[in-house]
Amino acid sequence: MGVLVSLQRKIARVNMRLLASMFLVSLSVMTFDACGRAPRPIANADELRAMSWTELQASSRGQTVTMRMWRGDPSINAFLDNWVAPRVASEFGITLRAVEGQGPEIVNALMLERNANANGTADLVWINGETFSNLRQANLLLGPWADRVPNAALLDSASPIIMRDFEQELSGFELPWGTVQAALIYDSARTPTPPQTFDELSRWIHDHPGRFTHDQAFTGITFLKELMYALNGGVSQFQGGFSEATYTRSSAKVWQWLDDVRGDFWRGGRTYPSGVAELHRLFANGEVDFTMSNNQNEVITKVRQGILPKSSRALVLQDGTIANAHYLGIPSSAPHAAAAMVVANFLLSAEAQYEKLRPEVWADGTVLSVQRLTPEWQTRFNALAAESNAIPRDTLAKYARPEVAPEYHERLNADWRARIRDVVAR
Amino acid sequence: MKHSPRALAVGAVLVLPVIVGFAYALLGATDVFGGFGQPAGAARLQRVLSEPAVWRGTVWALWVATMSTTLAAVLAVALSLAYAGTSRTDRLARALMNVPLAFPHIVAATVGLLILGQSGMLARMFMFSGVIASAAQMPELVADRFGIGVILTLVWKEAPFLLLINAAILGGHGAGYKEVARTHGASRWQVLQRVTWPLLWRGLSPALVAVAAFSFGSYETMVLLAPSNPLALPLLTAERYVDPALAGRNDAFVLALLGIVIGLIAVALHENIRARVDDTSHA
Repeated sequence: MGVLVSLQRKIARVNMRLLASMFLVSLSVMTFDACGRAPRPIANADELRAMSWTELQASSRGQTVTMRMWRGDPSINAFLDNWVAPRVASEFGITLRAVEGQGPEIVNALMLERNANANGTADLVWINGETFSNLRQANLLLGPWADRVPNAALLDSASPIIMRDFEQELSGFELPWGTVQAALIYDSARTPTPPQTFDELSRWIHDHPGRFTHDQAFTGITFLKELMYALNGGVSQFQGGFSEATYTRSSAKVWQWLDDVRGDFWRGGRTYPSGVAELHRLFANGEVDFTMSNNQNEVITKVRQGILPKSSRALVLQDGTIANAHYLGIPSSAPHAAAAMVVANFLLSAEAQYEKLRPEVWADGTVLSVQRLTPEWQTRFNALAAESNAIPRDTLAKYARPEVAPEYHERLNADWRARIRDVVAR
Repeated sequence: MKHSPRALAVGAVLVLPVIVGFAYALLGATDVFGGFGQPAGAARLQRVLSEPAVWRGTVWALWVATMSTTLAAVLAVALSLAYAGTSRTDRLARALMNVPLAFPHIVAATVGLLILGQSGMLARMFMFSGVIASAAQMPELVADRFGIGVILTLVWKEAPFLLLINAAILGGHGAGYKEVARTHGASRWQVLQRVTWPLLWRGLSPALVAVAAFSFGSYETMVLLAPSNPLALPLLTAERYVDPALAGRNDAFVLALLGIVIGLIAVALHENIRARVDDTSHA
C-alpha cells in the first residue's frame, strides 16, 4: 500500500513539473514573440521600386496571391472567384485566392503573424478608414507602391472622396478600388412619401413607433456620423483632424436627438440588430420600415437577388450622406508583393471596374475618371449610370459628404455602445 | 499502473491548449503584447473588470447557462424515466429525441429565429388565427432581456445530449441494479429513490457542468438570439476583439480570462460538492 501511495505521489510530482515546464515554455515563447521583431521582408518597397513594371509582371508569373477580404456577400465573392480569378490566371499566370478577413480581423491577423515572427499569409487586403489607420500606426503595410501601378493614371484624382481615406493621405500605401455612398432603404409600397431630412425622419419615427432602428456595426455608426454632421452645421465643422472639444459638443446633440426618438425605435431602443444583414431581415419581414446600406446601389443588387421586396428604393437624406472609398493594400509581410501589385492593377482596369459596377454583379462605384478612358469605355460606363432605379449621379454627388478623421468614428462607436449598454444601469 | 505515465502524457497534451490559451490571454490582458498606447500591467484588468457592462453581460450569460441547463436536465430526466422501456414505441421515441443532436448550434439558433421572432412562424400563426393583430403584439422571444429564445434553443439542443447520457447510465449496469432491487421486493418508488436517482445524478452531474460551461460561452446561439443590452459575455468578448480602436482590442483577453475563470470555478464547485456528498454517503 505504501509503495503504491509513494508511486502515485511521484507521478503527481512529475505531472506537476511537466505542466509547470510547459506553462513556462509557452510563456517564454510568447514573451519572446512579444518583443516584436520586425517581420522578414519578402520583397520590400525599395526592391519593388527598383524593378520595371515588365520585370514585376514577369517575376509574378506562377505565383499565388492570397487576398484577405470580407466574404459576406455572395455576389462580391462570385465577382472575385469567378470573374477576376480566371482572368488574372490566363493573362498573368497568377492564382488568386480570396479568403475571409475584414477590417479588425486583418489587423489582428497581421499583428499575430508579426508577434509570432511567422511568414505572411496575405498578399492583398481590402481595407479603408480606421483599418488603414490601424495598419499604418502599427507599420504593417508595404509602401509606397500604389503610384507605381500603371492604371493609377486613370484614377479620378480630383475627387477628395477617393484620394483621401477618412482624411488620411494615401501616400502610396493603398490603391483606391471602389466607392460607395450611404443610403437609407425603404419600401415605396409601404412608405410612399419617406422623410427627406433628419428632422422629418425624427417626426416620422414618432408617428410610426417601433418601425425604425439602425444596426450596431459599421453602417449604424455611419448613420450616427451623418446625424452628427447634420445637427452641427455640416461636415466642414469636423474637417482638419480630430478635435476633442468639437466631438464632445457635437456628440451631445446626437445623444439628445437619440434620447428624444429612442422610445419610438424598434423594441423601444432596448436592443439593436447586430449588423445590416439582420436589419435587412427585419425590413424584409416587415418588422421595420427602413434598412440602410453603405452602398447606395445595394438595394438594386438585393432586389435582384430576391432578398428585399421589389418595391424597395434607396433614399439619400438631403442633410447629406457619407460617401467613402475602399482600397487595396499590401501587407509588409506579403510573400508575393509583386504579384499582388499586378492583381491590383488589373482590378483597377476599365474592364474590371466596369464589371464591378454592373448592378447584377456588385454595383460598386468606380474610382476611375470616366473622361480618362477610351471613348468606347466612356459610352459603356455612361450607359450604366442611366440605370432606371439607381439614384441619379448628380443627386448622389449633391448630397455626398466625405469621411472625417477615424477618431470620430471610433469615439462615436465606443460612446454609443457604452450608452446603450448602460441604459438599465443608469 | 504501468501505463500511467503514458496516460498522464496524453492528459497533458490535451490540457496544453488550455494552458497556452490561459497564458496567452493573461499576457494580452496585461499588455505584455499587442497593446497600443496603453500602460502595461494590471491597469487594463482593473479598468475592464470595473465596467458595469462586463458584469451585467457575465450575469446575463450565467443566467442563460443556469436556466438552460436546469430545464434541459429536468426535461431529460423526466423523458428518460417516462420512456425507459424496451417496447418498440419507447425505443422509437428515444431515437426521435436524439435528432436535434445532429444539428449544429448555429442551425438551431437560425431555426429559433425563424420560429420565435416577431415576424417568425409562431407570430404568423397567431396572427393568422387572430390571437394577435400585428407582429409587434407578439411577445419578445428573440433579442429579449430574459434570453427566452436563447434558453429555449439551448434546451432543445442540450436535452437530447443529456438524454443520451441518461440512456447509457440506465441501460448499462443500471438495468441490472434495478432488476436486483425489484426481485428483493423493492417498490417502484423505492427503486427510483435508492437505485435510479443516485445512479442518474452521479452519472449526469459532470455532463451538467459541461453543458452549463458550454451554454455560458455559446457565441453562435447568442449572436443570433441575444439582446444588445446587456451584451452577453461571449458577444462582448468578440466585440472587443474587433474594436475599431486598436487600443481597445486587448480588452478581449481580459474577458476571455474572466470566462475561463468562471468555467474553472464551476468545475471546482462541482468537484467539491461531489466529494462532500460522497463523503457523507460513505460515512
